[in-house]
Amino acid sequence: MIRLGLFDYGAGNLHSLRKGLEAGGARVTVTSDWQEALGQDGLVLPGVGSFGSAVRGLGGERERVRDALEEGLPCLGICLGMQLLFPASEEAPGNGIGFLPGEVRRLRARIVPQMGWNDVEGGADPILRGVGDFPAYYANSFICEVDEVEASAVIATSRYDDDEFAAGVRKGRTLGFQFHPEKSSSAGLRILANFVEEVAG
Amino acid sequence: MLRPRIIVCLDVHEGRVVKGTKFKELRDVGDPVELARRYESEGADEVVFLDISASHEGRGTLLDTVRRTAEVLFVPLTVGGGIRTVEDMDALLRAGADKVSVNSGAVHDPEILTRGADRFGSQCVVLSIDAARDGTSWYHHTHGGRRRTDMEVVGWAKTCVERGAGEVLLTSIDRDGVRTGYDLELTRAVADAVTVPVIASGGAGTPAHLRDGFREGHASAVLLAGILHDGLTTVRELKIELAAWGIPVRPAPALPVPAVPMEEGR
Repeated sequence: MIRLGLFDYGAGNLHSLRKGLEAGGARVTVTSDWQEALGQDGLVLPGVGSFGSAVRGLGGERERVRDALEEGLPCLGICLGMQLLFPASEEAPGNGIGFLPGEVRRLRARIVPQMGWNDVEGGADPILRGVGDFPAYYANSFICEVDEVEASAVIATSRYDDDEFAAGVRKGRTLGFQFHPEKSSSAGLRILANFVEEVAG
Repeated sequence: MLRPRIIVCLDVHEGRVVKGTKFKELRDVGDPVELARRYESEGADEVVFLDISASHEGRGTLLDTVRRTAEVLFVPLTVGGGIRTVEDMDALLRAGADKVSVNSGAVHDPEILTRGADRFGSQCVVLSIDAARDGTSWYHHTHGGRRRTDMEVVGWAKTCVERGAGEVLLTSIDRDGVRTGYDLELTRAVADAVTVPVIASGGAGTPAHLRDGFREGHASAVLLAGILHDGLTTVRELKIELAAWGIPVRPAPALPVPAVPMEEGR
């Protein structure tokens, strides 16, 4: 059985994500210990808390996490967890993992946070197999603009007012979603199952 | 395009879902975990639990209900009722809530919003307002709508958003349970004054009330309870009606949401 390490920054709901990954066939260890998290078949960076609290959770392990991803450890970053893959965010000072280039900035819409179901235009990436274009659940104030990310890394996009931003990114075996698959009902559960399958394959 | 949301509210009392009129006359309407799941499969965009017991003893029961719900619910869950401290927020979020809704706690100490937003992100922090009209203004009420405060609602909402609230759940006490439509004037006054999403609550009786909540109330979401619990309509039927009027709601799922087994041995 595939073992996933779900990193706990110390804030927020991890139950639904854990259950969603388990429903996809994984065994999930929730941990605040990077050694344990990186020692599984894949790493999951959840989307709860603030950028500042997540950076504190990275502590002195930033390089080590980046090295693990560069060596090919499969990784799934969700919302804040995806933002953490970039070097920095307007939300708070401190360094993210810096696995992908690009700056995370605040949405420019009148109503922020973006709260609710927004349309995702997906491409042909296998992680989106079986879901096509779909509405996904977002709860975020910060995004990475499509133009900020290497074109080859963007696997799905969404639009909120005038901001077109990366809904999904991939570099190698590392994936990130700005929306919450674990809160996006059937389509989201399918994406989590696809991730587990990809880690297995 | 961000879809206008339909949120289903379950008033939870000692581990059961109850419904009352004008915050009184409670009736048992079912099991929270089962109902939450059913509403997801009907197309509810979110679920809210309001703990109306909010007693010290009831806290453990609530956390257990939230935990069991989060394991089988794959749309967002907001929990409110009796939240006074950041530790209360933390306990609920850890149990499986995605957002927490604060009412009296913010009146008592508005800094709870700032501290909660710093730690969990403002998208987790919902300000709940129970508004009753008095002359030409509305005033915020606490203690389940029983105690009037001096907070004029529009100003109070703005203050709380500045302090960190990421969403406003705006209930009209005058309309709660009476099914004559949302207080559109109230909803619009708040929605136009703040820069976060506003959820219209209190008074939904027909699909047209929901439509008006979005179009005339400028709400980002509408909250429903009684008309669903009484079986008068379903989220699916409401969404079909709204879509026919050109309101771009998220379509209800075509197929049943796959069941996830409950965790054993808890």
